[in-house]
Amino acid sequence: MSVAEAQSPAEVDKDQERRLYREEMAIAKKYIGPFPVVMALWCFSNLLCWLALWPLVIFDVIPLWAGFLIATANVALCYLPSHEAQHSNYANPGTPLRWLNELIGYVSTIPLVLPFKIARYTHMLHHKHTNDPKLDPDYEVIAPTWQQAMLKTVRRMQPGFPNSYGVVLSENADDPAAKRAGLEGMVQSLAYWGILCTLAWSGYALEAAFLWWVPRMLGTIYISLFLSWWPHHPMDEMGRYRNTRSFTHKLGNIVAFGMEDHIIHHLHPGMPLNRNKAAFRELRPILEARGCRLEDHHG
Amino acid sequence: MELLKAIYPWGPLLFGLGFLAPVIAALMTNLGVQAPLGLTEIQTGLIVGGTWGLVAKFGGRWI
Repeated sequence: MSVAEAQSPAEVDKDQERRLYREEMAIAKKYIGPFPVVMALWCFSNLLCWLALWPLVIFDVIPLWAGFLIATANVALCYLPSHEAQHSNYANPGTPLRWLNELIGYVSTIPLVLPFKIARYTHMLHHKHTNDPKLDPDYEVIAPTWQQAMLKTVRRMQPGFPNSYGVVLSENADDPAAKRAGLEGMVQSLAYWGILCTLAWSGYALEAAFLWWVPRMLGTIYISLFLSWWPHHPMDEMGRYRNTRSFTHKLGNIVAFGMEDHIIHHLHPGMPLNRNKAAFRELRPILEARGCRLEDHHG
Repeated sequence: MELLKAIYPWGPLLFGLGFLAPVIAALMTNLGVQAPLGLTEIQTGLIVGGTWGLVAKFGGRWI
């Protein structure tokens, strides 16, 4: 990002603009550097937990209802480690640990059945065009209230509703990255439905339904609400310092999956999620001076 | 690829028969629900799942 791109919505003169930019970058740099160990551990522990549920439930070590609750949490939790991989936060291309970055990206979202390449492709567009009704792939989540946002996600799951990520891929059909993403997505979706049907016809229909199918739907609703709707609501402003808000959720930042400080992620996507809160506290005076949307309310 | 393109629009019906049918049958067995009209649980599942899949395919919604 250059100083020119970092225009404040608040009225600040050019000297102040440069000073704010330098200060913001100096603070951000402190939090961007080290390998995000927490997020990597999060990925593998969450995935192993979800995989372990299958034998535990099938062999009656734990009841299906308990497996269902844990699986739903696993699905909801599986997106964020992959999100770091989408931004290459574990390792940049050409570095020794790049394989780990891509591995986390691919395996973390297995419970959610979100193909990594599709997630990365559409998420980069989301960052580039945040809140643009035509170009932001996540714009479909727009709704006046959080309850309506949840209902809208249910509507978006219906077969008659166009899949916004599918639309993006078809609009960019000439792009080899979009083509590859579409192919991987198709393979992953076919594998998912194939596994579900095979399990169901092999005597494990309820396990398939309550460890994967229903948790996946519930997890999708949760992720869509907290990662897309809440930080960008009401989605009526664009620009680096206004397209995302900070907020205080009455159930806390853990329930909100750390999205209270999502504004930090949009300003500095290279900063891992678990460092956003500390960075937000330090950056807050700068964000205030820039006229960012710091909405500390229980909305 | 062409085969997949031809099958894709029928996804809801295939899902109704391939997944919902055994799930409905398993739910009936577990909840002790008797299948009507002398049908077996899986026959009931195929009828309900298949019909639901057709409704979703032509109506565009599961619910």
